[in-house]
Amino acid sequence: MDNHLKIKKKILIVDDSEMNRMILSDILEEFEIFEAKDGLEAIKILQKMSRDLSLVLLDIVMPSMDGFGVLEVMNKRHWIEDVPVVMISAESSSSVIEKAYELGVTDFISRPFASSIVYRRVNNTIMLYAKQKKLVGMVTDQIYENERRSRLMVAILSHIVEFRNGESGAHVLHVQVLTDLFLKRLVNKTNQYQLDTAQISLISMASALHDIGKIGIPDHILNKPGKYTDEEFAIMKTHSDLGAKMLAEITEYRDEELMHRAIEICHYHHERYDGKGYPDGLKGEEIPISAQVVSLADVYDALTSERVYKKAFSHEKAIEMILNGECGAFNPLLLECLKDVEDEMKNIRQGNALHHGIDKEITKIADTLHHHEELSSADRAIELLEYERKKYEFFAAMSQEIQFEYIDKPPMLTFSRWGSEKLNLEETIMNPMNDEKLIECFGKENLLKFIHELNKTTKQKPVVQFEFEMGDNEHKRWKKVIAQTIWSSDDTSRYIKFFGKIMDVHEQYTELTNLKQLSSHDGLTGLYNRQMAEHMIIEKMNMRPESQFAFITFDIDNFKCANDQYGHMFGDKVLKQVSKNLLASIRSDDIAARVGGDEFVLFLEYKSSLEKIVDRIFNNLNTQYKDFQISISMGIAKSIDIGNDYQLLYHLADCALYTAKQSGKGCYCMYDESMKDALLETAMEE
Amino acid sequence: MNIKECYQMMNGDYDGVISRLIKEERVKKFVLKFLDDPSYQLLCTSLENCQYEEAFRASHTIKGICQNLGFTQLYFSSNELTEKLRNHDYDNLDGLLEKVKENYQEVICAVEKLR
Repeated sequence: MDNHLKIKKKILIVDDSEMNRMILSDILEEFEIFEAKDGLEAIKILQKMSRDLSLVLLDIVMPSMDGFGVLEVMNKRHWIEDVPVVMISAESSSSVIEKAYELGVTDFISRPFASSIVYRRVNNTIMLYAKQKKLVGMVTDQIYENERRSRLMVAILSHIVEFRNGESGAHVLHVQVLTDLFLKRLVNKTNQYQLDTAQISLISMASALHDIGKIGIPDHILNKPGKYTDEEFAIMKTHSDLGAKMLAEITEYRDEELMHRAIEICHYHHERYDGKGYPDGLKGEEIPISAQVVSLADVYDALTSERVYKKAFSHEKAIEMILNGECGAFNPLLLECLKDVEDEMKNIRQGNALHHGIDKEITKIADTLHHHEELSSADRAIELLEYERKKYEFFAAMSQEIQFEYIDKPPMLTFSRWGSEKLNLEETIMNPMNDEKLIECFGKENLLKFIHELNKTTKQKPVVQFEFEMGDNEHKRWKKVIAQTIWSSDDTSRYIKFFGKIMDVHEQYTELTNLKQLSSHDGLTGLYNRQMAEHMIIEKMNMRPESQFAFITFDIDNFKCANDQYGHMFGDKVLKQVSKNLLASIRSDDIAARVGGDEFVLFLEYKSSLEKIVDRIFNNLNTQYKDFQISISMGIAKSIDIGNDYQLLYHLADCALYTAKQSGKGCYCMYDESMKDALLETAMEE
Repeated sequence: MNIKECYQMMNGDYDGVISRLIKEERVKKFVLKFLDDPSYQLLCTSLENCQYEEAFRASHTIKGICQNLGFTQLYFSSNELTEKLRNHDYDNLDGLLEKVKENYQEVICAVEKLR
């Protein structure tokens, strides 16, 4: 405890006048002082430290955000519940003071302030809050203690039953642990029963009382080693109703939910899902779910435990018998749960934990509580939060992702620590859209695009993602941002927050681009391949349907001879040279492709004389590679004659090429109507 | 000149400030600090540029400091100016500003002698 006292309490002073801040720090020299010169700075510090602060001293009139603005944010973010605020102001009108109290300030000191008064009031407020926190802690601890006591009472009661019953003392505990296990599985599978954690805990606690009615069964029947006569069985069967009645008579606790559950379980834990159970013969979902679950747990434990009249069955055998319907009829969903949690059941049995399970847990909690009384629940909660925060920070750093979050009022962007270091930006940035460093870091266009995308989100579709390039020219890298907007429940016109992360996807992205290149290009020459060319040509014609296009196909005359004579390597080099010359002769938005062997396709848009263009390209292609004279035959079809039909253009350009070949190779030929007849004739002849 | 004489010279409230801040040393420290406070400069320039919100805050700050340090005369004049600005009453500010300037000079003169 002494250590706690030695840590200086932290106070935040918010005042736009440096003089005032100095005077106050001077008066409060025994505290660790943080200073903010306006409301926005105060929010920044609160965001970072919030519950670490013991008190805030707040001025009202300040630039950029006044004291009331700070209080509003503190209310909205619930900081005001943990951090007391003392207002200091020269404002003395009662409406101002009233407003301050309404917004949750603990005290109001008016100027001129006396040092002793400031000191006293600050100290009193801090003590008051510390006491309140301690009280909250004590109340929470008391609840733990009460729960522990009720569990203890239930345990004692149920052991009495078992003691009389001669059963192994662990049966009640087994049923309790199994009930808990089944219920937890059940709520994962269905919403049908609307059970929360607290109710599950209540039901498993109440399950311990399921056989309490056996207290009322005569000893000689209860502990009879052999089979019951019909008459004896009839008496035995009354124990469920009896138990429920016993509990119902304890009127003092009639309204306790534990009592309701216990009565329910006592009364119905021998009902069967098929309606053949007792005492009421309820069927299916008429049987309360608590009783259904306890009944299954009861049967399983009876099977796997040794009794006067039987040996213990193995876990596998017991499951088999239950699933085969040899030991009663159960809710099919529950049987599924039973199968789902089989491994856990085995684990529990092997670890022998069934005997201690819950007790152990209780003891542990109680021990922790009692040995560390000064560690109140409130402190524990804070420790847990701190732990979560550390964990989050660690994983955020490990993931190598820049994580961020933004709130609307006041406009504030926060980066994860790793992210802020990586970007060399502040962790918290106020008014981010006006922050020059932020703009410089990401680039204005990227930020505008991001905001544009965010503005397109809706409550139903709140996620944004896209890729962008950032960094200076030499170190540009591809990043991917994913973010989600958060909307308030009442106002759907605008999001109020967003958060997300930025990942480096440079390697994946460039790889993808390479793959795209690979799949769309011819590996040897770097020209487009056939599919890509087709796709692009069609797209181009669709985009500019009014333009004039020329579709050109050509091949290298006697290419086969070159291959045969000089080898394939040589042939490849010829192809490369032709491609190089081709690329050098066309514009960047013309489409050039190698569509197979030595066949090429060229698609271009023209405005004036096509003849001139073709002439030039044709001449550029007719060159020499080593000893081999490269000669080209070329066919051309014009969209203006034929229309924007890819297949037809290709076909007719081929016809023209054929004609060029026919007339002695080494020339080009434009398609015209006359060829159609000639072609037809040839086709007929062939 | 000691701190008490300094307050006499500017017609300030020495007893009041000592009762609030207790230590004479502390009073002296902050009185000297007042020479560096930018609020007065801010008040003059913002009024020249008709930035009345800014002027209001500056005047308000001066008023607060004076109240705490017991600079009675400057407190009165800056308080009056503050209230006028708060009510968005921007006519005939010159006279009041002159008064503030005069009182400010008195304070500065006295404080300079403390150094």
